[in-house]
Amino acid sequence: MSRYPAEADERSLIVEAQRDASRFAALYERYFDRVYAFVVSRLHDRDAAEDLTSQTFHRALENLPKFEWRGVPFSAWLLRIAANAMADRWASAGREQGHPSPEPSETIDTDAIENRARLFGLVRKLPPEQRRVVLLRFVEQRSIREIATALQKTEGAVKQLQFRALQSLRETMVKVGKRIGARK
Amino acid sequence: MAKQNLSLQLDAAITALLARGDSFVPAAGAELAPLVSMAIDLRELPRESFRARLKSDLERRTTMSTNATPARDAGGTGQAAGAGVNWKREGFRTVTPYIVVDGAGKLMDFVKAVFGATERFRVPRPDGKIMHAEASIDRSIIEMADATAQYPARPMPIHVYVRDVDAAYARALAAGATSYYAPVDQEYGDYDCAVRDALGNNWYIGARKGADPIPSDVPNLMPFIHATGTQKVIDFMKAAFGAEEMLKVEAPNGTIVHAKMRFGGDAVIELSEARGVSDPLPGLMHMYVPDADAAYARAVAAGATSLNAPADQPYGDRSANLMDPFGNMWTVATHIKDVVF
Repeated sequence: MSRYPAEADERSLIVEAQRDASRFAALYERYFDRVYAFVVSRLHDRDAAEDLTSQTFHRALENLPKFEWRGVPFSAWLLRIAANAMADRWASAGREQGHPSPEPSETIDTDAIENRARLFGLVRKLPPEQRRVVLLRFVEQRSIREIATALQKTEGAVKQLQFRALQSLRETMVKVGKRIGARK
Repeated sequence: MAKQNLSLQLDAAITALLARGDSFVPAAGAELAPLVSMAIDLRELPRESFRARLKSDLERRTTMSTNATPARDAGGTGQAAGAGVNWKREGFRTVTPYIVVDGAGKLMDFVKAVFGATERFRVPRPDGKIMHAEASIDRSIIEMADATAQYPARPMPIHVYVRDVDAAYARALAAGATSYYAPVDQEYGDYDCAVRDALGNNWYIGARKGADPIPSDVPNLMPFIHATGTQKVIDFMKAAFGAEEMLKVEAPNGTIVHAKMRFGGDAVIELSEARGVSDPLPGLMHMYVPDADAAYARAVAAGATSLNAPADQPYGDRSANLMDPFGNMWTVATHIKDVVF
């Protein structure tokens, strides 16, 4: 099954969630990585990105009944909410510091965001040991020595796991990229 | 050899990348360049615990807005999750031992005969075996089920405080248990005995010496873990579930002879290093938490293996199953709606 659903599939998920809010989780699962990838690409700060991603989904849940299908992808609607939340944040930070803050860029590079979101999703599908090494190294920012101690492995073995994980992510990214390129 | 060399080069580039934290791109050969460029994106990988927590927050919000269940008194210890239902099922402590045996019906008979337990309810399977049953012993609950291929028997040790140890010991033997040791005064201030029931569970039956045989500083019923490497289990409980160390008694050689870990203010798990009759008997703990998804993510990060990811269950809990590195199973659950059984 494609990670990026056909329009009809996306539409039915939205209609179900509009009818029954408890179905919103399915939309969240589908779009979390894209919203987070977009926000973090602008903020480059994990705590701020979490805050904004959280605001985005809470606002989306509140406003879902107002969402009307006009052929604009749901992800674009979510990214617009995220962009507005970021603009609010910048405006309020500017007010607090007594000077105007830089305006966030208006353009959204959808391909770059989708690529990064796809990468985030693929990390979850890595074999458990490789996944753990990637999370400890990149999210927790632990040293190879610390990871080796935590996993009771040699430092060389952890470096190998890290290498294999990135290699496998790269191979899958290239494969998926080709498939999507062929569809376009 | 070449691969090993590449893994070293890649790690050197990643180390430089993580140390700088800006838009610096370390130099890399043609073979490594795509991996390094991907490592730049991986620096911004989301925290799994955040993803799970936000999902749980959103679900709680939608459940609250669609659930017509009236708000209930949190009862002091359970703390309602904003509105709607309490995150712990009524009557439950944070941790409840869940005993899976070949013969759950016999276990129910045993706890009724020995401890005067009250059967809360049982859910039979079509073949007459017990899918799930609950019994109250004084102020605590134990859960039980018949073993299946997926969940084989896991008899476990339980420590129960009673008013009359001698009488309970006699009833246990009459109900088919084998004695490990008869009631005796212990230097730690209890009068206690130990038996193993016919299904393989160890029961440590005691009374506090002094005014009240049932102490108020610990629950009247506590699951016990005999571990090989108790300190590691303690460290895991702290990292995974935020458990607090209440007591740790070490022998001169550093072996932990007794420890108590407090969970959520109303539950305690006891531990000791496995030795002699107290073989490791890894158990199954049913733990209520305010946010099962977040607890699940923390437990996985602390080294637990996921058996089932968090999911809404037909009996009104959202729960996940995990196996810790020492063989104990943990069901982390948040009660999300009341279901009439």
